[in-house]
Amino acid sequence: MDQLIPAFGFGLITASILAIAAVGFTLQFSVTNILNLAYGDIMTACAFAAYLANHAGVNIWISLIVGALFGAVFSMLLNRFVYFGFVRRGTRLFGMIIVTIAVSLIIQNLLLAIFRPTFFSYTASQGPSYHVGSMVFTASQLAIMGIAVVAMVCVHLLLTQTQLGKAMRATATNPGLARSSGIATDQVIDAAWLVSGALCGIAGVALVLNTATFSETTGAAFLVPIIAAAVLGGIGQPYGAMLGALTIGIAGEVAAALISPSYKDVVAFVILIVVLLVRPQGILSEIAAAKEVAA
Amino acid sequence: MPTSSADGTGRPAQYLQVDDLSAGYGGTVIVNGASASVGPGEIVTIVGPNGAGKSTFLKAIVGMIPAISGRVRLGGEDVTNMRANNLAKRGLGYVPQVNDVFDTLSVFDNLAIGGYLLSRPDAAKRTEAVLETFPALKAMLKRTASKLSGGERKMLAIARVLMLEPRLLVLDEPTSNLSADLSRMLLEEHVRRLGKGGTAVLIVEQKALAALTISDWAYVMAAGTMKVSSAAKELLARKDIGEVFLGRSTEPASLPKASGGMD
Repeated sequence: MDQLIPAFGFGLITASILAIAAVGFTLQFSVTNILNLAYGDIMTACAFAAYLANHAGVNIWISLIVGALFGAVFSMLLNRFVYFGFVRRGTRLFGMIIVTIAVSLIIQNLLLAIFRPTFFSYTASQGPSYHVGSMVFTASQLAIMGIAVVAMVCVHLLLTQTQLGKAMRATATNPGLARSSGIATDQVIDAAWLVSGALCGIAGVALVLNTATFSETTGAAFLVPIIAAAVLGGIGQPYGAMLGALTIGIAGEVAAALISPSYKDVVAFVILIVVLLVRPQGILSEIAAAKEVAA
Repeated sequence: MPTSSADGTGRPAQYLQVDDLSAGYGGTVIVNGASASVGPGEIVTIVGPNGAGKSTFLKAIVGMIPAISGRVRLGGEDVTNMRANNLAKRGLGYVPQVNDVFDTLSVFDNLAIGGYLLSRPDAAKRTEAVLETFPALKAMLKRTASKLSGGERKMLAIARVLMLEPRLLVLDEPTSNLSADLSRMLLEEHVRRLGKGGTAVLIVEQKALAALTISDWAYVMAAGTMKVSSAAKELLARKDIGEVFLGRSTEPASLPKASGGMD
């Protein structure tokens, strides 16, 4: 029990990072219908972009914005110049997954060639520690949780209160009908890559801030929990991804504390397998079901 | 501006004019040089056997698939291969046969997306007006579209399109999955009213008799081309109507040649 509450605290931090990443991942899939398995590597590339800014003397939180901007622009260009070419030729979901795996390997090896196989870290203080009950958080960790909450509120407001959000939801549900309702779906898809890429960038930098060091494989190693969170919530469901992130994040850290740290990812795998067996459409399944019908 | 009618059929000046349109999928030509037209306030139905290319013809008109050749004009403007979102801005409303609503969204959100091109105050006004036309939807604004019955769903699909007050409404098999009573209600009450209100309506329909009853003009499509072009009443009066619907008979057997013949 002594370990449980601090583990819950660690879980909240992991869940925060996971929520940002999983919402970006699932938003990308819901609007574009591309299951982007290069997402983790783009997180790493964003972390490196922030690293370059940080080591050029830029404050870490400004560097986080640099990482987010890099993620937004890189993701949109990746779609425009790589993915979209395959989509236009009629490459379907499974084929696109193979393409994203290829992109993942290319990004990882480019990072390896540019930055060499070693560990990197930001020049940033974790700040003072704060006690919340028997949980201890550094200022940096509290900031990450704050950023996650703000990001989730922004995504919620974007989806529910703006014309772009309305267009994204329509495009995600039925792109053909969205077009015939007057929505320029190409522009909406660009916007979805920008928004999800920015979330990817924030998640990449936040992940490194929490783990202290990183290499070219850090983001890729985080991909399984991201997918698990997205699948748990119902792939394509931003609110489901938030719920999935909370579950996977806390369950992983609790398992790490009670059993062994090496069980953290195992928990994500187990939850992923159980969900796929019991409720493959996820907790919030409407989008996934609609996509099956439309396919 | 609508082009003027010069074919001697007494039809109104044409708002939609399709000439020698060819279209298909993945290199396979399904529609081969088909022509049709619809005037303001006119209800035009395309009938024909399964696989005739009726839905493909509509999809090429509304920008869902590319036209291989031919020309589509809307209000005199060449809109061939124009994207569906730009056609919506020009007053074309399209209700597909399936996937005709946003399943995961509420009835209200479906209407809101139907009015995507409108300002907020205009969208609110249009929502009110559309709900007056389809009062049954008022009680289910918060319901998810996927949970609607077949009739409610089709009502929502048409209501969604009416948010933009289209000048041309294109309906692909609007009564499929509907009971006979609901089909009659939809066609006779709503579609006919739209036509009387000045909307040009183009329908593809399997339940041909019901659709022809409310139509002004009809085309029979078979093997990718229009075999017959005739006033709907004249088509309904033909004794060989069964053969005509299947595209096997093109010349009137018991009546003088249909006015206008082929466009």
